[in-house]
Amino acid sequence: MVEIDSSLHLARPLGPASVGLQANTTPLTVQIQPQALFSILDHSSRRPPDQHRVIGTLLGTRSDADDSSITIHSSFAVGHTETTDQVEVDMEYQKAMLQLHMRANPKEVLVGWYATSSELNTFSALIQNHYSSQGEGTYPFPAVHLTVESKPGKDVEVRAYISSAVGVTPERAADSAAFVPVPYSINYSEADRSGVESLEGAKEAESRTTGIMTDIESLEKSLEDTLGMLDRVSKYVEGVIEEEEEPSTALGQFLLNTLALAPKVDPSDIEKDFNNHIQDVLTVSYLANMTCYGAVDDGWRRGWQPARRRQEAE
Amino acid sequence: MGSFRVPPKAVPSPHVRLALRQETVKDKYEDIPTIPLQRISRKSAMSLAEETPLRAVQLEALTVMKTIKHCATRHPATATGFLVGMDNNGLLEITNCFPFPVVDLPPEAQYEQQHQHFNSAAAAPRAKANTAYQAEMIRMQKEVGVDANNVGWYTSANLGNFVNSNFIENQYFYQKEVNERTVALVHDVSRSSQGALSMRAFRLSPQFIASYKESKFTTEALQKSGLKYSDIIIELPIRLHNAHNVTTFLNQVPRLLSDGTMRPPTSVSSIESDPAITSDDLSPNFDKLTLNIDPFLQQTCDNLLDSIETHHVESNNFSYYARALGREQTKIQQWQAKRKAENAARAISKQAPLPEDEWQKLFKLPTEPSRLESMLNSRQVEQYARQVDGFVAGTSGKMFAVRGNLIPGETGVSAE
Repeated sequence: MVEIDSSLHLARPLGPASVGLQANTTPLTVQIQPQALFSILDHSSRRPPDQHRVIGTLLGTRSDADDSSITIHSSFAVGHTETTDQVEVDMEYQKAMLQLHMRANPKEVLVGWYATSSELNTFSALIQNHYSSQGEGTYPFPAVHLTVESKPGKDVEVRAYISSAVGVTPERAADSAAFVPVPYSINYSEADRSGVESLEGAKEAESRTTGIMTDIESLEKSLEDTLGMLDRVSKYVEGVIEEEEEPSTALGQFLLNTLALAPKVDPSDIEKDFNNHIQDVLTVSYLANMTCYGAVDDGWRRGWQPARRRQEAE
Repeated sequence: MGSFRVPPKAVPSPHVRLALRQETVKDKYEDIPTIPLQRISRKSAMSLAEETPLRAVQLEALTVMKTIKHCATRHPATATGFLVGMDNNGLLEITNCFPFPVVDLPPEAQYEQQHQHFNSAAAAPRAKANTAYQAEMIRMQKEVGVDANNVGWYTSANLGNFVNSNFIENQYFYQKEVNERTVALVHDVSRSSQGALSMRAFRLSPQFIASYKESKFTTEALQKSGLKYSDIIIELPIRLHNAHNVTTFLNQVPRLLSDGTMRPPTSVSSIESDPAITSDDLSPNFDKLTLNIDPFLQQTCDNLLDSIETHHVESNNFSYYARALGREQTKIQQWQAKRKAENAARAISKQAPLPEDEWQKLFKLPTEPSRLESMLNSRQVEQYARQVDGFVAGTSGKMFAVRGNLIPGETGVSAE
């Protein structure tokens, strides 16, 4: 996981609540799905050269019962311009894109916004208040603000915040907000993992490209990984035996437990099981190939011959 | 375990084949006009494009992740969407993808569809409403700097069952209406969950497009064009590409375990419940080393049975047609013989002979059914066969390895 700043679980700040609505103060966690993050990284690399940071909208779902957890599923970019004294966000665009997006993913709702720079200034507060407002904002739920900073040469920094109103003066209320950091985690599902594994193959290459691995190649990679792990473990054990490494009974016990998992079965049983198993596999392979090259090809040939005979007869 | 090929016997004579080849080459270069300088018309741009044919596809990391997510959330139903990117001198770069909106029909609606299976998601890429959605989405994305060219569409598949008429029609629609240089990206959800990522890119071959345009898939047309089921779709190799910040991100992800040394653990349970280990989502995935073959084999056998059934249905249709044709032919011949006899009789009695070709108006020959379905079916079966081959190769290796390990005293693997 990426380096996560340690955070303190504070009671969620009370936003403006209408009468009768129970404000929720349980701590909030944010879960980010990797494709949302990749989307944000892509947007930050495509930003126009004169813009220091770009923003966009976050879409996702909230957990039902007590909305203590927000999952961010996807994101899209929103055009905005920033000068020293004012900021303009294209809200029409945002509304239109939200509509288009909801048509394809009806279950995702607006949950917040992101920016591609870690700094928090009055513009951030302004935009944050806008996103938390009633009407098109996330009211009565808090809007999540995600900052994803990717400076060349440094690590990608991801931070998540929610905000509360800070009472300064009534005139400055619109562009003041206290950003409270919330813990986040990036969850990879099973399907995502195979994608990320393939992408990782391109980590080392100079051109950052790689082909897609076939089944055999991925099997080879798994075996190499396993052999690597076994190497490291045997080196450690040798080190412990020669008293170069600090021994640990817990590790020794754990290794013993793992090795004991190898089954002790009668060799003839193994032969029988093995033969059955491999027979199944080979039978299906044989049938599939036979269907393909035997029956199907044959059918084509037989299909053509009657037509030819008739043509010759005419 | 090698695959074997039965040489096809229905090969047209060498003279015919040469004539065919000349024809196709001539067709390809026939409508390339001389390119006048300074004026790039659409036709000349297309001809330039024809000279550097698409040879490979490059996928951005973002496209991969978004496609995976969309297909996984909709599994096992089909998920479709469109791709945007750039054509870079024969290499098609796909930079982003977006899903199509799908209307989830209530279960009762399925019974109201009288004609064949209406799969709204599978037919989405060519539906008119979605063309408008696509154009709208591309227009909006252009404002924030995303590539604004539609370069294809994607679909999800389950163990390779994507070769069907929906797939062909979608790709034909894209290659004809939108832009000739488009690909169909297929992500196989079941195979990706078992092992390596499975993404493939396909296009329709030019011969197939020519035949499809005329929509004549009768036996004579097929014999003339020499189109075999393996020629329908061509596969393009895929490369994955990461942007710089994505590479940085990937490098920093498995940080927790590779940073420094951990203190020796104090008990076995602390090893097992150490958060650094249990929460390391991207540790190497050893699911590929499993020997569990049943789900894959079962699914493949089911799919094969379905294909064989379709094959039987199609060949029954064809035999029925052949028999009907035979019957009509004999009737025509009998009628002709009768007419000849009548004319001979009338010639003797000096009457005008009756026309001999009236049979064309009296008898109607049955129309030959299209062979497209059976060709697609054959291609699908070939797809399954190749998949099984790949699977068997891996599994036999694993099986022999495990056996060698479990049987005491066996160190080498006997060559079998």
